[in-house]
Amino acid sequence: MIPAVALAIGVALGLLVQPSVPIALQPYLPIAVVAALDAVFGGVRAMLDGIFDDRVFVVSFVSNAVVAAVMVFVGDQLGVGGQLSTAVIVVLGIRIFQNLAAIRRHLFRA
Amino acid sequence: MSDQPRAGAHREELDTPLLVDVTTITIDPAYLQAAARRTGDRGPRRSSRVLFVAVLVTLGVLMSTAYRETRVTAPAAKRAQSALVDEARRRTRRTDDLQRAEAALREAAATARAQRLRTTAAGRDLAERLAGLELAVGSVAVRGPGVEVELRDAPEDERGEDLAGEGTVRDRDIQEVVNALWAAGAEAIAVNGQRLSSLTAIREAGEAVLVDYRPVTPPYRIHAVGDPDRIEPEFTDSSTAAAFRTLAELYGIGFDVRRRESLSLPAAGPRLRYAEVAR
Repeated sequence: MIPAVALAIGVALGLLVQPSVPIALQPYLPIAVVAALDAVFGGVRAMLDGIFDDRVFVVSFVSNAVVAAVMVFVGDQLGVGGQLSTAVIVVLGIRIFQNLAAIRRHLFRA
Repeated sequence: MSDQPRAGAHREELDTPLLVDVTTITIDPAYLQAAARRTGDRGPRRSSRVLFVAVLVTLGVLMSTAYRETRVTAPAAKRAQSALVDEARRRTRRTDDLQRAEAALREAAATARAQRLRTTAAGRDLAERLAGLELAVGSVAVRGPGVEVELRDAPEDERGEDLAGEGTVRDRDIQEVVNALWAAGAEAIAVNGQRLSSLTAIREAGEAVLVDYRPVTPPYRIHAVGDPDRIEPEFTDSSTAAAFRTLAELYGIGFDVRRRESLSLPAAGPRLRYAEVAR
């Protein structure tokens, strides 16, 4: 309940305040969202497994976002550009799928 | 729960290939470790609960911002671009209109001046000198025999791997042809209907060739008024023409020289605003 409310407040805040993202940071935004989603689905799954832990969730969220952003940044600096962000998206995407599959098994027993 | 690694599974991670690792160890091992560490059921700590909520709020802001960025900003950029294109087209049309209006006004002024000057002998002398000067600086429309030089980009299918743009006619090509035509005795020159005066620049901005700050597109027709019997052979014998014949052979650039019985060239606009006669 509390997480859902917090999430809704966040979404509402983002839509109402309309924070402007500096141009330099714009490439990192989608990556950060995907990284955050990975942490969220990992958390939901852990919750369903009965082993959810606030601290682990916070740490995984922050470190996911930071590592993803750093990889994109390094990719930019090395001149491989979007390719490292593709790598980040692929790996995180696979994890999200796996976690979603586990969540689905939990919820629907199928 | 058979597919879930046990708490100690992270030690085996070193042996598994990366992709297998990515696809099988999907739950963050940290959760398992934390669960194993937890002694009894002491419930969540307050500080991390607050952080948890803060992170979720951050996530919400992140998601809605990302949504807004892609949904609102990207089309806005496209809109801005097409608006700029429209603006440029509109301005070009407006410039065309203004140029036509200016030409008409200049004509009227010239007619009025000629009528006034005809009334006295000194005026008639003046009118004669003026006519000669105007002809020389290109501020009146002229007609007469001459030659037409046509330059065309190489056809797309003949260019092949034309990475350096060798099949494209550039500003420098037009400059060279114009210079060669002046050298061959041309008295007045226009490129695609843009008359060259002493103030005219032929240059390139991006991919477009600008003559007198007006974009011109291929094929480029360069009209030169002068004695065809002199210009045509002299230009054809020039090193510039030889170079273009080579270019035509090598890269398929179109290059033609034709005699024309009658050419009419428009006037170039006088644009002196700051320069005055120094005495």
